[in-house]
Amino acid sequence: MKQLSDNEMKNMIQFGAKKVDFSEYGGVSDNGGSFNSFAGLSLDKNEKGSLKSVGFNFSGNPEPGKFLMYGADIYHSAPCIPGVEILPLREALLFYPEIKEKYYFRAVDKDQDEFTRLASEKERNGYFIRVRKDIKVEVPLHTAMFMRHEMGTMCLHNIVVLEDGASLHLVTGCASECHLTGGLHVAVTENFIGRGARLTSTMIHDWGPQFVVRPRTATIVGDEGVYVSNYYSVKPAGDIQMNPFTRLEGKNSSAKYMTVIASFENTYSNIGGTVLMSGENSSAELISRAVNYGGTVVQTGLLIGAAKDARAHVDCSGLMLTDSGIIEAVPGLRAMHPDAKMSHEAAIGRINKGEVNYLQSKGLEEMQAVALIIRGFLDIGIDSEGLDTELEKTISRMAELSGHDPS
Amino acid sequence: MAAGDKEILKGVNLTIPDNEVHSLFGPNGSGKSVLISAIMGYPEYEVTSGEILFKGKNINKLSIDERVRLGLGISEQRPPTIKGVKLRRLIEILAPEKMREKTLEKELQQKFDMEKFLDRDINDGLSGGEIKKSELFLLLMKKPDFLILDEPDSGVDPEHLKNIGEMINEILQNKDSGKNGLVVTHSAAILDYIHTDKAHVMLDGKIHCSGNPVVMMEQIRKNGYKYCITCQNRNGRDCI
Repeated sequence: MKQLSDNEMKNMIQFGAKKVDFSEYGGVSDNGGSFNSFAGLSLDKNEKGSLKSVGFNFSGNPEPGKFLMYGADIYHSAPCIPGVEILPLREALLFYPEIKEKYYFRAVDKDQDEFTRLASEKERNGYFIRVRKDIKVEVPLHTAMFMRHEMGTMCLHNIVVLEDGASLHLVTGCASECHLTGGLHVAVTENFIGRGARLTSTMIHDWGPQFVVRPRTATIVGDEGVYVSNYYSVKPAGDIQMNPFTRLEGKNSSAKYMTVIASFENTYSNIGGTVLMSGENSSAELISRAVNYGGTVVQTGLLIGAAKDARAHVDCSGLMLTDSGIIEAVPGLRAMHPDAKMSHEAAIGRINKGEVNYLQSKGLEEMQAVALIIRGFLDIGIDSEGLDTELEKTISRMAELSGHDPS
Repeated sequence: MAAGDKEILKGVNLTIPDNEVHSLFGPNGSGKSVLISAIMGYPEYEVTSGEILFKGKNINKLSIDERVRLGLGISEQRPPTIKGVKLRRLIEILAPEKMREKTLEKELQQKFDMEKFLDRDINDGLSGGEIKKSELFLLLMKKPDFLILDEPDSGVDPEHLKNIGEMINEILQNKDSGKNGLVVTHSAAILDYIHTDKAHVMLDGKIHCSGNPVVMMEQIRKNGYKYCITCQNRNGRDCI
């Protein structure tokens, strides 16, 4: 029988995200400068590498524009596609006063918790992205949030609006300067998806070991609208807790969350997702995969069927790759309508030794076999088309980290 | 050979000379699959005494992949499903440089009707015959010096058995080292399509007798393994 240490016993009782003491971090600085070009931005090799690893590449795909929050400063380039806008939120609020009424804290409750209150009270900047009616953006639009100061606080507020019939693949990378160990990252993101519109949001996180990260995301989807949320945690923060909330208000609307987490010793990742299906014949799917190298992972998902013919499936699976660490899978379903059809599955275990032996019998070395199995486990069908090859490499790295004995 | 405290193979003595393919018959549970698991080095079985020699080298302590690199290759009877790993990806990793030539690979894919399996997860949802084809196609990419086939005919309908036989013959051909292998089968159906030089019958963890594959196959088809059990030619002697 495994003997639990005092710390592990304590964790059993106090299982959850750490209470954040804001005084441990540098205060939220004023919103910085805003530059509509990257010409004045000087990044060193490490910074470029960190941004590349979360999918942000300065050279590729200029058409849809780019947006970088570099500490408190914002650098962005204008899209070359008519009907696509990227602006710092503070500027957008000045240009388009209606944003405040229609979108600003209309999906996220500003009083949800201390983090949303922080973003609200400090009137944080971030991106405002709007794709006008029926405009379909064929290549991904890249944004990134980059933290630069040890034990600093980054707090931002993003709004994405897809008008009826529009489509967009938004790739957002969040990273810290590679030498930083800690900091606090708070991000409020509100997505509005119109009738027949489709938003694919791919988020990649790569953090230092003591970062505390609190994203607060909410999405509202109209009739026939589609929301796909992909999340990769390549290098987890010391403590991250997020539970993006989607309201499928429209008839025939759908949402799909796909989450891939690599967890390491002394990290806590509580990655959830809640979808409220209030639109008739709406559907939701939540797929979560975690590979644990010794940290604590909580995979939660709550799908709420509150309309006729709502359909939902939640699937949480985890691989334990070391003898220490915790994975807790909490796939949740809540039916609030008799015609809702909902299912769930969850599986946690080691790598199957038989699969490793099999691949070895085909000629792969043991570690090659393990990496291939992990790569397969993490392959949950996220469409990587158009994503930077650096991001592909980053995802592969998650599998290659498997330097352990699977016996 | 033992699994835990249980002895499974009891003093097996089997020699397959260069340029020969042998067949190994035996009823279910006689130890055939355990023998080839031992040859491949699967860790659930322990060699308690004796040697496994390949190319003159004792391979008892080699890992599975080291044995494969030395020239062994196996087609398993019931390989595992590996979710998320496409057959195409495994082929890309395994195929030696010459097989990366797209035309040659394509030619083989078309010849054996493999294209439809390449973008599926390994062994996921395949029928018995499709699993055999997938296994053999992977071996075709490697062309091992010594081919081990574990029940290549089980779960395969007669219509596809010929195709399986053609794939096996393709693997055995064009080897500088000559045709060399061991075909494990309890129904012997595959032997209508491939040639083996000698056959052995395994009963209760021992090689019971050896002989001409055609003669032995006929006896087994006609009288079943009960004939072998009552046969006087025990202790590995030739079957008459």
